[in-house]
Amino acid sequence: MSLLERMFDFSFLPKYASYFTNGIICTLLISVVSVFAAVLPALLLALMRLSKNKFLRGISGAYIQIFRSTPLLVQLFIVYFGPFGVITLPSYKLFGFIDTAIFIPGVVALALNSSAYVAESIRAGILAVDRGQTEAARSLGLTQAQTMRYVVLPQAVKNIIPTLANELVTMVKETSVVGYLGVQDIMWGTKTTVGATFKPLSPYILAALIYFAINFPAGKAVEALERRMRRGDVR
Amino acid sequence: MATFGKELIHVNHVTKKFNAQITALDDCSLTIRQGEVVVIVGPSGSGKSTMLRTLNLLEVPTTGEVIFDGVNIADKSVNIDLHRQKMGMVFQHFNLFPHMTIMDNLILAPTKVKGMEEQAARALAMGLLETVGLADRADAYPIQLSGGQKQRIAIVRALCMEPEVMLFDEPTSALDPEMVGEVLEVMRELARKGMTMVVVTHEMGFAREVGTRVLFMDQGKILVDEDPETFFTKPENPRLKDFLSKVL
Repeated sequence: MSLLERMFDFSFLPKYASYFTNGIICTLLISVVSVFAAVLPALLLALMRLSKNKFLRGISGAYIQIFRSTPLLVQLFIVYFGPFGVITLPSYKLFGFIDTAIFIPGVVALALNSSAYVAESIRAGILAVDRGQTEAARSLGLTQAQTMRYVVLPQAVKNIIPTLANELVTMVKETSVVGYLGVQDIMWGTKTTVGATFKPLSPYILAALIYFAINFPAGKAVEALERRMRRGDVR
Repeated sequence: MATFGKELIHVNHVTKKFNAQITALDDCSLTIRQGEVVVIVGPSGSGKSTMLRTLNLLEVPTTGEVIFDGVNIADKSVNIDLHRQKMGMVFQHFNLFPHMTIMDNLILAPTKVKGMEEQAARALAMGLLETVGLADRADAYPIQLSGGQKQRIAIVRALCMEPEVMLFDEPTSALDPEMVGEVLEVMRELARKGMTMVVVTHEMGFAREVGTRVLFMDQGKILVDEDPETFFTKPENPRLKDFLSKVL
């Protein structure tokens, strides 16, 4: 078989298609859940990072640096064999095939990792709000917390939403590590197909096509969202 | 010269250094009495805005005291939020909250800071909006207003807290010339009603007409503190003379 034929030899599909369709559901589910789970810790980290308190700033900075400077795969195993080596999780099947006992540790690891990145975008989004807004609010007697809640954060959301959407696109790719725990995502389905059919190339080509088909339109949607959010940004 | 009420603000030997090289305020002292309209003029970079911003601690003095209502608000143990409620501030760039309607801009502080009922806050805000002729814009967003309208709203927003003193930081500097008049008119009216005001401005006509005292600052020092008549007609300080010859 020529290279081109091997690349597009999808003869395995009739038998193994469900690995891929289930994989898509699983990948999308874990991406969305992880990013949403990351938002609150990320907000907390960002506020700590912006705090005047050296201790809080230090903790948050250390967290962000550690999670950004070590491989996600390493973090995944540490989370899985560390905390979740002690805790026994109930085993339910989501959508009939996703085992919560491995899905949850996967989500936790991804969310912990993602929160480090999202924290930085939230921080940038907060800092991008004009200083005059804070001064005006404080001059009216609002406390720092009230100023953040009523004046700064509602405006920062506009800056943050597009980066969150971007994080979701990144996450769809990053989730491919959860296959190592046995979570049946796209990557797990691909590797299983490779093992069963002895076709090492075309299943990966199919996986790449699927990831691309998800992320390319999603990326375009994020760009459109960014453009819309930028409009009407005058005080 | 008119007599004024009790001493409201007392600035005691305030120095503000931004770093080792830059001294924005150099041993400034100043007393402001109730009902006074103190206008601060001077070349750019002279420290006039910094002076104004120290009055409500938007700038924290490096050394010195700012006594407001008998309390040294520059002291770190003082809850500055309580005192800022009583000091309204108007900024050069309006700083209205763009994500809220005009009405929500106005009632935010009264309801959240003072704990006023929303109905009462709305009524208060509506009454004040009428005095500046903008009652019909209550449901508009800041982006829908002209600069002059925004600044009048910003003044009303500060007034909704029923402050004891109003601080104006170059309130007309960002306005198109044809809108300066409407904002000065609101300020003139406020002065007429007896509001204590501290105004940093380049509007010499306003300083002369509305001010009860005019301060000249240069290089972080208050060099002249006179009644407007003396200030503008018989200036003695050579730097003030030089300044006036350029701006008048």
